[in-house]
Amino acid sequence: MPTRTADTTSNAAIESSPHALLPFLQSQSQNTLTRLYQRPSSCLSIFRLLASLERQIVMNLLWLESSIAVATMAAWVHRDHKKLYDSALAILSRLHILPNSAVKLGLNSTFKSSLRQAITGGGTSGSFGVPSQKDDRSSWPDVKTLDGYALERWETILHYMVSSGTGQQPTKPSQDVLYLLQRSQLMTNVRGSALQITSAGFQFLLHSPHAQLWDLLLEYLHMAEERRMDVVEVLSFLFMLSTMELGMEYSTENLSQTQQAMLVDLRDYGLVWQREPSSQRFSPTRLATTLTSSSPPLPTSTGTGAGAQVQGFIVLETNYRIYAYTDNPLQTAVLNLFVSLKYRFPNLVVGSITRESVKKALENGISAEQIISYLTTHAHPQMHKNVCLLHICISQH
Amino acid sequence: MDNASHLSVIVDLSPTQWHLSSQSDNTHPLSLKDFLSQLLAFLNMHIASKHENTLAVFGAFPGKSVMLYSSTDPLQHNRTIDANSYPPFRVVDYSVMQHIMEEIDALGEPEDEVPCALVGAVTKALCYINRISHPSTSSNPADNPAVLPDPRMLILSVSPDLSTSYIPIMNSIFSAQKLKVTIDVCKIYGPDTVFLQQAAHLTGGSYIYLERRDALLQYLIMSHLPPPSIRNVLSVPTQDRIDFRAACFCHKDIIDIGFVCSVCLSIFCKPVPVCTTCRTKFPMKTLQRLNASRPPQTLTPVNGSTVANGSAIGTPRSAGTPMAASLR
Repeated sequence: MPTRTADTTSNAAIESSPHALLPFLQSQSQNTLTRLYQRPSSCLSIFRLLASLERQIVMNLLWLESSIAVATMAAWVHRDHKKLYDSALAILSRLHILPNSAVKLGLNSTFKSSLRQAITGGGTSGSFGVPSQKDDRSSWPDVKTLDGYALERWETILHYMVSSGTGQQPTKPSQDVLYLLQRSQLMTNVRGSALQITSAGFQFLLHSPHAQLWDLLLEYLHMAEERRMDVVEVLSFLFMLSTMELGMEYSTENLSQTQQAMLVDLRDYGLVWQREPSSQRFSPTRLATTLTSSSPPLPTSTGTGAGAQVQGFIVLETNYRIYAYTDNPLQTAVLNLFVSLKYRFPNLVVGSITRESVKKALENGISAEQIISYLTTHAHPQMHKNVCLLHICISQH
Repeated sequence: MDNASHLSVIVDLSPTQWHLSSQSDNTHPLSLKDFLSQLLAFLNMHIASKHENTLAVFGAFPGKSVMLYSSTDPLQHNRTIDANSYPPFRVVDYSVMQHIMEEIDALGEPEDEVPCALVGAVTKALCYINRISHPSTSSNPADNPAVLPDPRMLILSVSPDLSTSYIPIMNSIFSAQKLKVTIDVCKIYGPDTVFLQQAAHLTGGSYIYLERRDALLQYLIMSHLPPPSIRNVLSVPTQDRIDFRAACFCHKDIIDIGFVCSVCLSIFCKPVPVCTTCRTKFPMKTLQRLNASRPPQTLTPVNGSTVANGSAIGTPRSAGTPMAASLR
């Protein structure tokens, strides 16, 4: 008799924290959300951001013409997991996908018809992006160019953050990016001089690229509200990007004024690639097309730096000596936050975690947990035994 | 984030059975065309659920089985992109339909239709699952064994049981158990199939006999879309009665009472002097006793009684017990 997936692991999967965007969506008015739900691509992307149980509830109700009694649906729920089910319903009702009702369960009709349309295709909404006509003069950009561009843009931002205040002069990202970093309090302006990274910024650096991307985009959304840009248009453009195909070129003709303006910003973040600023066409990069998934948003094939990022490159010995197989300046700079570096070779950096280096990190606002989680997520495949690491970090407190 | 899951769908595409299914004298006629449109919606929903979800579709045609689509090596067609549909959905729909059309066009005359190669398709699906869940280090070193898709298989069956395929089906069930693959079965048309019921039961999947064929999509979504982790919360229907009967090795008939070789556990419908599988000779005395204890041929045996083919009983039981008798 084969056993099902162990209960503990499945529960952990279900109870994992919701996506960062969902609280933002929940804070929006019903009117805004209904307008957002008119586009099939937005519905599909939001659907993907939901947890698996919520997705299944939506699926169960999607093709029903009339609403069903609450009791009928509840009859399917396993008694031990009633709580999970109730919280899933609560989240759906806060998103106005499933109106809260004590008697009947039925999906929001706008959401229902758009998601149906997304799944069956058809319609005339054009919400998945209008591809540009292929002409003979210029070929489509290949995936490698796009990956390279996305990586270069993104690392420029991060590298600028990490090396601010160290006296180095890395390439500056554009003014808009700097403004965004400042607004989100990842960096701050110290006494009118150059921008300085804050403790929130240090914590930000240790997040996964996916979380970093969403942190910035959320900040962008808040900023868009202040700039009186239409949130619905901003969101639906982001969602449209996330459903686009990598390596394709799309036409800008069908974009609204707001979305045209967004193109410029997103180009700075590396989400969108354009041949030239005035081009009538744009291509999403991997950063954009993986927005609603959990696959690595940064390319894995280009260069040893990015490849190592996915695979894990850090070997930590029990004497707190650290060997990082990387030649990526960004990763080296991030490591420098809490490691005192000793030697640098091509493709190898050697350092050690000392009392002083960890103290320095703690003063910068990086917590011990963050260091440990960074080390474990980037640990070399051959290394899975850093239990004793916890000891030193706690002793520092 | 919750894990991605893999789904292999096996579609039984027997032209005869689908023709019978679309006849209007059924309570709920379902033509192949309607079925395929509902199936495609279901496949799209599986991909829609998560970006990393993987999908493979296999078709069982008369005498051959074909892979219709797989998300790891998708068919590179002309990549025309339509602004109104999500590109991956279009690729699935196009690829599945294209392959089915090709195969159906290539079919011979209806008179010489051979049975559907369902087992072939199941075996191909198992091989495919094995390949993606054990990626060789050379092909993709970035694959982390911790994020393996948790594999499932869904068999959409319309053909009746093919008793000659008993042994290969059981073998596939055992390998599915070993790979921890859950097999779901949806019986769309025709009588219950004993072997697929056992397949679903033994691998922890669900077996659905479609009572209302017009609600096929809803059945599929409610009981076959959720991955195992969700099934702990929202339960899916399981069978309360399972037919455990086996097929004998000599005539490939499904039997109520059988005789099991005590050495190699082969099943026979009547006592034999020598086991055809392992060549063991049985004592004459046992044979006579077993023959004497068999119920008269005219009398129909109790329906649904099971053969305990796995429990090798050391000594022959007393006469008249409706149990498997050992041949030694």
